[in-house]
Amino acid sequence: MSAAASSSPPAADKLRIVKVASVVAITLVIISPLFLLAVASLKPDRFQILADMGSFKAFWVADPSLKNFADIITFSGPLPFGRYLMNSMIILAFTVTGGVFFNSMAAFVLAWGRLPGRALILMLLIGLYIVPQESIVLPLLSIVNRVGLADTFIAQILPFMASPLYIFLLYQFFIQVPRDIYDAARVDGARPFEIYWKVFLPISLPALATVAILLGIETWNQYLWPLMVTQTDRARPISVGIAAFFGADSIYWNYAMAASVMMMTPVLAFYLAFQKWFVSSVISSAVKG
Amino acid sequence: MTAEAFPRLSAPSAARRKRLLSARAQEILMLAPASALIAAFLLTPFLLSFRIALTNERLIPRPVPAHFVGLENFAQVLSDPTFWQALWNVTRFTLMVVPVQCGFALAMALLLNQKLPWRNFFRGALFLPAITSMSVVCVIWGTLFQFPSGPLNQILGFLTFGLAGPVDWLGNVNTSMPAIVLLSAWQAYGFQMIVFLAGLQNIPNELYEAARLDGAKTWARFRHITLPGLRQTNVFVLIITTIQAFKLFTQINILTQGGPRGSTDTVVQYMYSVGFVDQRLGLASAVSILLFFFVLAISLIQRFVLRDRQ
Repeated sequence: MSAAASSSPPAADKLRIVKVASVVAITLVIISPLFLLAVASLKPDRFQILADMGSFKAFWVADPSLKNFADIITFSGPLPFGRYLMNSMIILAFTVTGGVFFNSMAAFVLAWGRLPGRALILMLLIGLYIVPQESIVLPLLSIVNRVGLADTFIAQILPFMASPLYIFLLYQFFIQVPRDIYDAARVDGARPFEIYWKVFLPISLPALATVAILLGIETWNQYLWPLMVTQTDRARPISVGIAAFFGADSIYWNYAMAASVMMMTPVLAFYLAFQKWFVSSVISSAVKG
Repeated sequence: MTAEAFPRLSAPSAARRKRLLSARAQEILMLAPASALIAAFLLTPFLLSFRIALTNERLIPRPVPAHFVGLENFAQVLSDPTFWQALWNVTRFTLMVVPVQCGFALAMALLLNQKLPWRNFFRGALFLPAITSMSVVCVIWGTLFQFPSGPLNQILGFLTFGLAGPVDWLGNVNTSMPAIVLLSAWQAYGFQMIVFLAGLQNIPNELYEAARLDGAKTWARFRHITLPGLRQTNVFVLIITTIQAFKLFTQINILTQGGPRGSTDTVVQYMYSVGFVDQRLGLASAVSILLFFFVLAISLIQRFVLRDRQ
């Protein structure tokens, strides 16, 4: 939709240059904080980091060092970040695997099963979708405390695997699959689980990827719940670990920066590898309404 | 299926009945894990919160059993000036962050929807803040906001030739909330930008061409084609952003803990400090029920507005 080049070339060209220049400038401003973070994580002296922040030195590191990373991974820093990162990955792996599997199975039955009461369950799910996580965490915490699951991985995995939102997203995807595909599998004598496993899952990869990505981002960024449910480093995820820097009187910026880079790197790698899927999953979560 | 090649007039055979039954059993088993998890970890705590809100229960139960206190918790919350301050702060935050974030996202979407060199690269780069976790965002912006010599204060001094003194962005009652707005908008605008881009691509190109033939200028095309074409997207984005703004917590909890002097306290932070720090579960449950009704009200408005438009 750029201005028609044929009508008035010089003006259109000028406009185009202005547009390109402004996109470049805005992009630089927007991502400069991330660049700053990456640079600072390579400076082992926390006072130097703060001193450099006031000038263009913030964007440059003369002698890059991985000491910050080595320190926080080998537990010689103030907080065990190797462990936090590992905890986050364990929680992520189980939540996403279980979430994709359980939500899609339920969605398949709701879309194609013959069980009575499916419509009722679907309506209940849509109703529950409105309940924000924030308004159930305290009663949930009291339940978790009572059954002795406080400070465990299970308490951070099980509650977030199944979700009305993702069941509904997958339901909407499954319901659009042509009836013939389902009927053909049934005529061949396949039972529900076989139809789900052998026919529906292979053709649903985009929808499954959407759920995996959205649930993955959500799990990786969980904060309120792990803040309350973890009491020791045992199962504490990196999101809460990083926040612990801010409790101190004098912040170890060098370690905070390195820990942040560590938390960001897996997401960034995934994003660069699957950018298209990231974008389409954001859109499909939105179109749902 | 051989059985169906010779259909019987009588009831289905025992084998077929068994087959149907096992199909049903499979369906139940497939539905069970998700249903059980949602019942245990979403429905139960949700229903429980209504009961707890009517008692004086503590997070760690005391030897004395909790007892029924009626609507006392609600009365106490609604007469607590701290709660109203938190509610007002969240409203203030919403009123600031929604226009800033959505406006910037729309502007960037319009810019990126044009034919530009390396357009996909810019889209990818501009989405980067959106994949940055809030904890990381807090580390980054915590440094940027450093008082007195952080980058933002340096830029401020440079732009005003040293006239404006360094500002303690997060430690000053007047700037703390705008500072939170800035970092929140930076982190989250990418999602809205992507949604707007998708909305823009759904507007048929012919409309723009027809308008151009009619001699419509850029602004007129934007007002009469782009904006109406984005109506659904607009409503959706505004509602989602509003709901998220209402649940503001992580960046507050990490950076300000609600301070200075309650200027960044939010409803969820209030609930957290009442329920988790002070262990007053009954009172906190009353807050979470109120929060639920706020979110419900916003969702209902969304339904209403969307239905109106269709």
